[in-house]
Amino acid sequence: MSSEGCGAPAGGAPVTAAKDAGTQAVVQGHVTQNGSAVPVGYARLLNSGGEFVAEVPLGEDGGFRFFAAPGSWTLRVLAPGNVRAERVVSADVGKITELEVAV
Amino acid sequence: MSRSDVLVDADWVEAHGSDPGVVLVEVDEDTSAYDKGHIRNAVKIDWKADLQDPVRRDFVDKAGFEALLSERGISNDDTVILYGGNNNWFAAYAYWYFRLYGHDNVKLLDGGRKKWELESRELVTDVPQRAKTQYHAQEQDRAIRAFRDEVVAAIGRDNLVDVRSPDEFAGRLLAPAHLPQEQAQRGGHIPTAKNVPWSKAAEEDGTFKSDDALRALYGDEAGVDFDKETIAYCRIGERSAHTWFVLHELLGQPNVKNYDGSWTEYGSLVGVPIEVGDGK
Repeated sequence: MSSEGCGAPAGGAPVTAAKDAGTQAVVQGHVTQNGSAVPVGYARLLNSGGEFVAEVPLGEDGGFRFFAAPGSWTLRVLAPGNVRAERVVSADVGKITELEVAV
Repeated sequence: MSRSDVLVDADWVEAHGSDPGVVLVEVDEDTSAYDKGHIRNAVKIDWKADLQDPVRRDFVDKAGFEALLSERGISNDDTVILYGGNNNWFAAYAYWYFRLYGHDNVKLLDGGRKKWELESRELVTDVPQRAKTQYHAQEQDRAIRAFRDEVVAAIGRDNLVDVRSPDEFAGRLLAPAHLPQEQAQRGGHIPTAKNVPWSKAAEEDGTFKSDDALRALYGDEAGVDFDKETIAYCRIGERSAHTWFVLHELLGQPNVKNYDGSWTEYGSLVGVPIEVGDGK
């Protein structure tokens, strides 16, 4: 993926797309329902003020990934059937924060 | 210009998506989304491979746009219905791009792919076969496209609307948070720009907010002066195409331009003023 691009694959861009993953504050994880991946849905990242920052479609494995700034974020999941879930998460530079969301 | 001139809803697409003279086009941020499933009879346009010049940082030229639409089987008389993911972010960009080359009979599916998916409507993998056409484009309509010198001249004079997230506006992030933060240019925003994140114009299901809510968002809350000309920008000009759609097509503002060079150009220019920090 070019650095010029805005295009993110479902589930989020791979960490290796970064020139140096060590400088990123990554928040990633999977969405599951009754133990199975939720392949159709969206993960939204909101900042500490509740403002929308970014959204990715879930990958086929229910996966999502964001490259955030250090601090506190809210992850909101939307899926068919009016499924909604929220988790508060903290991101740090050089760290991959894993989040498994059961809906 | 009213909403019904520029938007259709999902029920309309289910009823009319296969009518003669109607072409559904998916333009998605995730260019592989179409291949996994799309609305019946929709064709795909890849915002990057199809719409960007492969060498220079610019759009495909008029002949390139004509070749693309001819190859996809789109004719000058067709009603083009665009849709995509992420609140129609890239579909709105394609809408602006179609209008740039003079295709006026174009609309967005309100809510785009997300609302369609969240309502569990039909998606298929069959790729429609459309006969090639002889599409004729107009010269670019420069009334809706801003270049860097116009942007610098607009500082303190016209409305500049920075539609990126507050963290990008302040300079804490250099790209949307679903992308690696790998840009080398300076962070911040163009002085005097108002920060109205593009996503505020959309409800959570991706549909556009009401005209009254939009007018309040840009006018009363952000301080955009509707009597002045406006330039919208973001990072590479795609989110700001969504805002251009809101201001120009939904609210009927006459003089609105999208600065597609946006922050990846402005933030790398030598000698131009930059502000950092949160919006006022």
